[in-house]
Amino acid sequence: MTEKLAILWPEIFLFIATCLVMITGQWPSRAIRAFTPWICAVALFAAFGAAMSSPGSGSAHGGMFPEIVPYAKMLIAAVGMLILLLLSGTVDRELEAEVDAGKPFSSIRSNRGEFYAFFMFSLTGLMLTASADDLIWLFLALELTSLPTYIMVAISTERKKSLEAAVKYFFLGALGAAIFLYGFALIYGATGSTNLSEIATVFATQTANGGISSLGMIGLLIAIIGIAFKIAAVPMHFYTPDVYQGAASPVAAMLAFVPKTAGFLALMFILGTVGWNDGTAGGGHLPVAIEATLWIMAALTMTVGNILALLQTSVKRILAYSSIAHSGYMLVGLIAGPGIIGGPFYQNGLAAVLFYLLTYGIMTVGVFAVLASLEHRNGDEADDMDDIRGLCKSHPVLGWTLVICTLSMLGFPPLLGFLGKVGLFTSGIAAGQYALIVILGINSAIAACYYLRLVAAAYIDDKGKVSSPVYASPFATRKIAGVVSAFFVLFLLVFAQPMINGAYNASKYVPAVAGEVEHNDHTDRHTQSSPAKADEDVALTHKALID
Amino acid sequence: MMHAFETLQLAQLAFPAEMNNSVLAPYLFVSAAMFCIGLIGFMTRKNMIIMFLCTELMFQAAGLSLIAFGRHHLGSDGQTFVIFVLTVAAAEAAMALALVVLLFRHRESLSASAWKELNG
Repeated sequence: MTEKLAILWPEIFLFIATCLVMITGQWPSRAIRAFTPWICAVALFAAFGAAMSSPGSGSAHGGMFPEIVPYAKMLIAAVGMLILLLLSGTVDRELEAEVDAGKPFSSIRSNRGEFYAFFMFSLTGLMLTASADDLIWLFLALELTSLPTYIMVAISTERKKSLEAAVKYFFLGALGAAIFLYGFALIYGATGSTNLSEIATVFATQTANGGISSLGMIGLLIAIIGIAFKIAAVPMHFYTPDVYQGAASPVAAMLAFVPKTAGFLALMFILGTVGWNDGTAGGGHLPVAIEATLWIMAALTMTVGNILALLQTSVKRILAYSSIAHSGYMLVGLIAGPGIIGGPFYQNGLAAVLFYLLTYGIMTVGVFAVLASLEHRNGDEADDMDDIRGLCKSHPVLGWTLVICTLSMLGFPPLLGFLGKVGLFTSGIAAGQYALIVILGINSAIAACYYLRLVAAAYIDDKGKVSSPVYASPFATRKIAGVVSAFFVLFLLVFAQPMINGAYNASKYVPAVAGEVEHNDHTDRHTQSSPAKADEDVALTHKALID
Repeated sequence: MMHAFETLQLAQLAFPAEMNNSVLAPYLFVSAAMFCIGLIGFMTRKNMIIMFLCTELMFQAAGLSLIAFGRHHLGSDGQTFVIFVLTVAAAEAAMALALVVLLFRHRESLSASAWKELNG
């Protein structure tokens, strides 16, 4: 229990903040209301610190991913902080304007408390996903991550389109949840355990005795397809453009990072139970059926995302399709797997995925921050391609942020996105997925078309011919979020080594060994899994040897 | 916690043997059928309440298999899982109804096809 608590401190800090924020967001006094985001910021700092000093998950994953917890939670807290900067002023704008004009504050109309509380709930769920060691835990953590986001989409603007977006998102989200839940049920049926490392042991035993049972295999495939909703991969990607367009830009930035990270962590854990060691010679790969499914998913996700992005005129829809395409790229890393145990970073697909999640989070917050910092006279957010024309001249800071972050998303060589993509390429090559790497290369070239369109619109085009001009939004923190992201994109190149090392350590994967698992013996299981007991045993053996 | 587990074991003493495959199969069949009906219903129906009920049906299909498997393996994991699934399903129901009511106020229609503002 205590060792589990030791890795849960970041979640506890976030949860305390969630409870506080719900109260302060409704407070009649304006100063306390305005203090609400600061509570979130303090909690995120505390969570970051707790994650930094957190032990690896150790026994929590039964040794499957022993080092993932600190890196994943630091990543979540850091990008969460950027998104928090971006969220300011999303809700309650009209209400606060009325209060300024002298009307009394009505807490019933205020959404601020819920909005920040749901944001913190979602991040809590995301961190819990990172510490999941059990199917039940994983299911609950994934739901805690996504349920608040549905409401956040609905209340993010006063417009009807955000309601429509919320409903689309919610219904497809519920469908995705039902699908992966059914997959989890079948996995439980095939293995008799909900503990991930025990499931891994059972699957390893089954593999050694002629292959994973068909029930388990079907369960895994259904679970993967269900989780594809969270990462916006192909069979479940339809909602993405509509939802990103309907939600306010800050919330869209959050949707691009939070559920995607949850989905990739969940996929890592699910795939970790079968392991990347089917077939021996040099590294090995996933079981054939799963690899084929992921392969098709990755190829289609990249291609569909990039080709449909070419046809869009709305910047948010372009970003939505590019988010789909980026999921496809990251799936390549998942297919490649951890490579040889102890192999270098560039052969390790999981490390590449973990690093790419960080780079993608930073870049995407940067681009959405630019959109969130611009608005029309009537309060509508900037969304159309015309809105960003000539941005480098009219708003130089925002314009250059957009150019830098977009070039980074394209994978332009000296920028952060390039570093992320190189890992995916090299790990794919090391795993022998040449066809997939060719598809990845072609897709990167297609992506260049629309990313360069964005860059050209901001840098080259003239503002003169645009009919409805855009203005800088009054919320300075949004601009700060963009500038900080652009700063990271440029300067993490120099300082990327600690983060690459972090991702590499976090991706440490210990495959399960075939053996018997005791079912239906809970008391026994608890004593067995206690490391203190195991240490005692070791000490006793040592003593016996010395004697 | 321990007490609940002992109660479960006592209850299972009434049927001491593991459920064999021929007993398990009908449960799985019904559960698979419920899942497929839910999935097909979700894709073909336009009424948002019906669509939501279809996802509920899929959730409960998973719950049914979890209980059947839990009994099959003589463990408490399946039953535990189902309780959490029911909780999450209840939370989702509350959210779905809130969203649908909100939409209905704007359009006076429950049809999903009445909402086509976002496309491109």
